[in-house]
Amino acid sequence: MHKIILAGESSLLIYFGNKIDPSLPRNIANFANQLKKHFSESIVNLTPSYTSLLVNYDLNKTNYQQFKTQVSELLEQFSFEQAEQISKVIHIPVYYGFEVALDLEKLLAEKELTIDEFIHIHTSQTYQVYAIGFSPVFAFLGQVDEKIQAPRLATPRIKIPAGSVGIADRQTAVYPIDSSGGWNIVGRTILDLSLNDPKNLDKFKIGDKVRFYSISRDEFMRYGGRE
Amino acid sequence: MSFKVIKPGFLTTVQDYGRLTHGEQGLAQSGVMDEHAYAWGNYLLGNHYFDAALEITFGSVELEALDDMLICVCGADLDFKINHQTVDIWNSIQIQKGDRLSWHLPKHGIRAYLAVKGGFETQKFFNSRSVNLREHIGAKITQDEIITCQASIGQLDHFIAPKYMPNYHQEVVLRLLPSYQYSEFSDAQKTLFFSQTYTISNANDRTGCRLKGAPIAIKKDKMISEGMCYGSVEIASDGLPIILLKDAPTIGGYLKIGTVFSLDLAQLAQQQPGAKVRFELMAIHQAQKERSVFNQFFGVGVNSKALKI
Repeated sequence: MHKIILAGESSLLIYFGNKIDPSLPRNIANFANQLKKHFSESIVNLTPSYTSLLVNYDLNKTNYQQFKTQVSELLEQFSFEQAEQISKVIHIPVYYGFEVALDLEKLLAEKELTIDEFIHIHTSQTYQVYAIGFSPVFAFLGQVDEKIQAPRLATPRIKIPAGSVGIADRQTAVYPIDSSGGWNIVGRTILDLSLNDPKNLDKFKIGDKVRFYSISRDEFMRYGGRE
Repeated sequence: MSFKVIKPGFLTTVQDYGRLTHGEQGLAQSGVMDEHAYAWGNYLLGNHYFDAALEITFGSVELEALDDMLICVCGADLDFKINHQTVDIWNSIQIQKGDRLSWHLPKHGIRAYLAVKGGFETQKFFNSRSVNLREHIGAKITQDEIITCQASIGQLDHFIAPKYMPNYHQEVVLRLLPSYQYSEFSDAQKTLFFSQTYTISNANDRTGCRLKGAPIAIKKDKMISEGMCYGSVEIASDGLPIILLKDAPTIGGYLKIGTVFSLDLAQLAQQQPGAKVRFELMAIHQAQKERSVFNQFFGVGVNSKALKI
């Protein structure tokens, strides 16, 4: 079930499965910690994602064949049934008003839902961080209830304002900075997730839990929300 | 103490070897687009391989020296002048306080590197001084800005043999490692990919380089997002390649046909839209051998705290 393949001249990619599975992020994070412990001299960088882990190593210390063999031996010894590590729950306040939720009206019509029903569905789920990427502090959260899942826009927007909360298929996420993107925008948070605060870099970790809660327009404006 | 910016140019940013250890947090590698020219600049000055340089793209830049400094310009010939006099690049030069350094238009290549003795001392963000505009980390240089570095005086015995000075006009051959989803592409798809000469499109920046050519017919274009390394080549929905470069996102969900050898990307970094490129297969042991020779010569990664997680 595990597979190690070549990625670049000083990197390899480990697959832990071939489909998205809620048990994988935690296992991948645990294995990444094991790798750091065993090969602290040779590992330069780790990039986990839904089902895989990209490992960059130091060519001055090892080479592809040697390192692949070592990683594969460690994988064989690794217990994937380990007790759950403690993960934090991050709470994110979201204003779901149409003036900031650029795609919500259209989505409600398609799904035949009221705004209250939509907010209830989006906020009652505890999401897991499956991957971090696209841009720093952009956490891919899953799985969104099938009742509100929606494919990416056919034409991505040139500019999505920072703080926008989006849905793409069964994933949801917050855009930490103004970016281009094709996700359906359903709300906006007042949290500043940009790197203006460098601590935000460690805001989300793979395997962390996230919950959204709804705030009113008054609260949104009072805490510095922008339309 | 530094330089004052008289004219900032089109795209001039401070870059070093990059942000190498933050994949778990989604931070791009960033760093210089042409590792070869950058490494020579630091080497000729006796600098550390990680020391920050100014990456000048296309030119239209003018700087005033606020101190006596030992500098070196490598990479593209952007018609570099000191006080309106043409000066040789790929060479360390002692400049005086008040000197005006200027880069005009691309004559040979598009990215020039200004290295200074000791490196630029701009603010570090997450262990690197590299600017990444896509991630809103740092900014382009602006008019009247002061870019800080130390005063220096000296003469160095390091020099570059002419055979190491690259010819950016020659045809670019990008050697490709058969990585990622290489084996999922059919023989017919691979033949089309390796047999054609692609053209660099206008969509070519520090994030990625899109190529124009005959599209490869692909059945499925998206997969579960996974970590992408520098130089990996996505085949987008339109069947055309995108080579991922220094400012690219850390993960992505297009199929990748392989990964270009890093030092060939240095050649690519000097090409304008319209230039021709083609791909050739490269074995991993050959890539590791060539890269190790480069790393050892320039001291890349040796005893470096910067490479530690």
